Amino acid sequence: MLKTTDLNAYYDQFHVLHQVSCEVHEGEVVLMLGPNGHGKSTLLKSICGLVHKVDGAIVYKGEAITRLSTEKLVNRGIIYIAENRELFGEMTVLENLKLGAYSRNARKAEKKNLARVFELFPRLATRKKQLASTMSGGEARMLAIARGLMSNADFLCIDEPSLGLQPNLRIEVFNIIREINRQGKTILLVEQNIPQIAELAGRIYVLEEGCITFEGTPEAAAREERLKEIFLGM
Amino acid sequence: MSATMALVFGIMAVLPLFVGGTAHMMHILIMCLIWAVVASCWDLIMGFAGIFSFGQVAFFVIGAYASAIFSIQLGIHPLAAMVLAGLVTAAAGVLVGLPCMRLKGAYIALVTFAVHMILEPFLKSGMGRALGTGGTRGILTIPPMELFGITFAADNKIAVFYAALALAVICSAIIMLVIRSSWGTAFLALKDSQDFAASLGVSAFKYKLAVFALTSFLTGLVGGFYAHYIGMLSTRLLGIDLFVMLMIMLVLGGIGQFPGAILGAIMTVIGNEMLAPLGAYRPLVLGALVVVLVLLLPDGIMGLLRSLVPHKVAEQVRQG
Amino acid sequence: MILEYLDVFISGLTNGSVYALMAVGLTLVYGVSKAFNFAYGSFYSLGGYFAWVLMVLVGLWGGYIVVFALAVPFLMGFGFVTEKLIIAPLRKRSDWEVKVMMITLGLALFMDNGFQVLFGPRMKSLPPLMEGAVSLGDIYIANQDIMIFVLSVSGILAFRWVLNNTRIGMAVRAVAQNPAGAKIVGIPKNRIFAATFGISTVMVGVGGILLAQKYFVSPMGGWDILVKSWVITAFGGMGSIRGGLLAAFILGMLEAFVGYWFGLSWVLFALFAVLLTTLAIRPQGLMGKWG
Repeated sequence: MLKTTDLNAYYDQFHVLHQVSCEVHEGEVVLMLGPNGHGKSTLLKSICGLVHKVDGAIVYKGEAITRLSTEKLVNRGIIYIAENRELFGEMTVLENLKLGAYSRNARKAEKKNLARVFELFPRLATRKKQLASTMSGGEARMLAIARGLMSNADFLCIDEPSLGLQPNLRIEVFNIIREINRQGKTILLVEQNIPQIAELAGRIYVLEEGCITFEGTPEAAAREERLKEIFLGM
Repeated sequence: MSATMALVFGIMAVLPLFVGGTAHMMHILIMCLIWAVVASCWDLIMGFAGIFSFGQVAFFVIGAYASAIFSIQLGIHPLAAMVLAGLVTAAAGVLVGLPCMRLKGAYIALVTFAVHMILEPFLKSGMGRALGTGGTRGILTIPPMELFGITFAADNKIAVFYAALALAVICSAIIMLVIRSSWGTAFLALKDSQDFAASLGVSAFKYKLAVFALTSFLTGLVGGFYAHYIGMLSTRLLGIDLFVMLMIMLVLGGIGQFPGAILGAIMTVIGNEMLAPLGAYRPLVLGALVVVLVLLLPDGIMGLLRSLVPHKVAEQVRQG
Repeated sequence: MILEYLDVFISGLTNGSVYALMAVGLTLVYGVSKAFNFAYGSFYSLGGYFAWVLMVLVGLWGGYIVVFALAVPFLMGFGFVTEKLIIAPLRKRSDWEVKVMMITLGLALFMDNGFQVLFGPRMKSLPPLMEGAVSLGDIYIANQDIMIFVLSVSGILAFRWVLNNTRIGMAVRAVAQNPAGAKIVGIPKNRIFAATFGISTVMVGVGGILLAQKYFVSPMGGWDILVKSWVITAFGGMGSIRGGLLAAFILGMLEAFVGYWFGLSWVLFALFAVLLTTLAIRPQGLMGKWG
């Protein structure tokens, strides 16, 4: 569904991603692992048009999408869900969700998606009028994911959804991601917390110092001696 | 940096040999030097310290009026009046700078520009007249500077020129030293991130206030020099076209590209002279020029030079 | 005596309402895109001249209704294109904020002198929106003042409604609150920037048309307006429409009464004093944020 070939990304003069080639098939959850600051987030952002300087090729549903604007990518069904959530703090939950459906592709499905999101996150339904800035960390995370779903995207790039959450909330977030996947969304996930999350993933990539150093199933990854540190050292 | 400055001022120093006979040409050269200092001060506070001060012309006018008033009302020597005027302007700078310490970006531009805006009604008001600003008429008889038996007046332009050159060299040297000193480093850190600078122990308050004081002192000093040279002052100096001209100097030279501001000032003053035949259309052209220059010459002449000259050489020119 | 004060009060109220409209336009652009427009006063004059050309020079049929109907799209387009041509290209640079101030200052000089070349330095006057007056006992209120008040207040209310209830309004608030978040959900930021610039041009241009009937149009007449709009914005609080309204009425009154008691030349000093006091005591203004 999505494939990158020899992708390089730069921030100012820093060369962050080196020749990254990876692939996500339709209906899959692919997990991107690796130490902090080694380019996992940058990879997601590069795919979603949020990094200015990128070269190489990104192909989505058979179409080259490298360097398309975020706006166009959202319209084609690719959405980024940020680790720091990037909500609109002074707006209500409902307004945040409606803004999630800003793109042309999402507008026609807004009603349907809103109903689905409230079904998935019943807690948000009861807090439609609450300001996003007054929500707890867990709720805000849910809202960020829900806002992403409102874009009617088929391909979700979710950046560390469990960051800063308590263990029980993490499980809840993972269950939600599993449910979203079951409803047919393809997911590229950056995560660090392994035990629960690895069960979700069909395949795993490991990104170290901007290069892909491992690709395979979670089982294969667990057998790799040298990956132990990445799995356990988080 | 110093090599470029030496080159520019060196060329300036020998120019009277060729045009010394033409009073008008000498006047243009003197104005080049005066504006070079004013523009460089602006570059120091805006380009290096990152403070969006829009009060530079106001400080210049405060210095000019103060020096004129001191020499007329108190009858003191113009040189002493100039230094006093510099101090008065520095005090004004600190006074304006204080409320700006807590402000960001455009708010600072607003406050400083508001100072510019109210200076004209103030100078024309009863309060201003009581101080000796001459109200709407302005000040007409400012005594010229006299030192070592030489009168630095409009009819002795060569003497004025070399005095202006000395002043410009001293001021530019001070500005260069500031940029190269630990201040310059502190400003860079402050511009990058106030929090980061604070973590290094750089006190934004101290440095920003100091740069307000220093730049307004130098600007006021040069304003005083201008007053004694020209011999009369009016609030027309506060017109928006002069403000924009100063801006062109900075944009042309390159913001934060010292000594680009000096080059910018020289080119602008000469260019403005060449635009004189346009008459009423001149400000129109100046306005359009700003728009075009900001869009097409983002780093000014210095930036252009650096992109043309091989990198190493340009770096040496800048550093050297 | 009382009646005279009432006149001053009404003048403060009408001027205040127009100031509010213009201040909201200024705070809109700054709040959303952090671009500070030094040519704002020239856009004010642009509105005045636009109306003068249509009403007096051309002698347009239909009067002010037609003028407004043509002015709104004209000003909107003018602002939008200006943003696209001279401000948007600067955004890529790290020092773009100061560059925007400089380029708009250059634009202001260009426009002001353009007006002077085109229309001459003499002031132009416009016919009143509406003749006559309403009398309440001894009190007469000019219909013109009532119209100015009603039009500018309804302009602000309409803007507020758009901001709170439409998709584009929500997008504008989103960009103001969190530009990164807005980009992520696919809001075309650059178009929003240009659109807000256009809307603010409409607000100040319409303000120019409204006030031109009382105070004439002149090439350099916009500078006061720039400073007043800014002082109101700072006083009321950046991004707060309610704060802006309140501040505009307070400053409108202040201007009217200071002008009445001490003379017009003191108005600018009074405004400056208010500005400095506000920034020293309460830098966020009377009320903060959008709403």
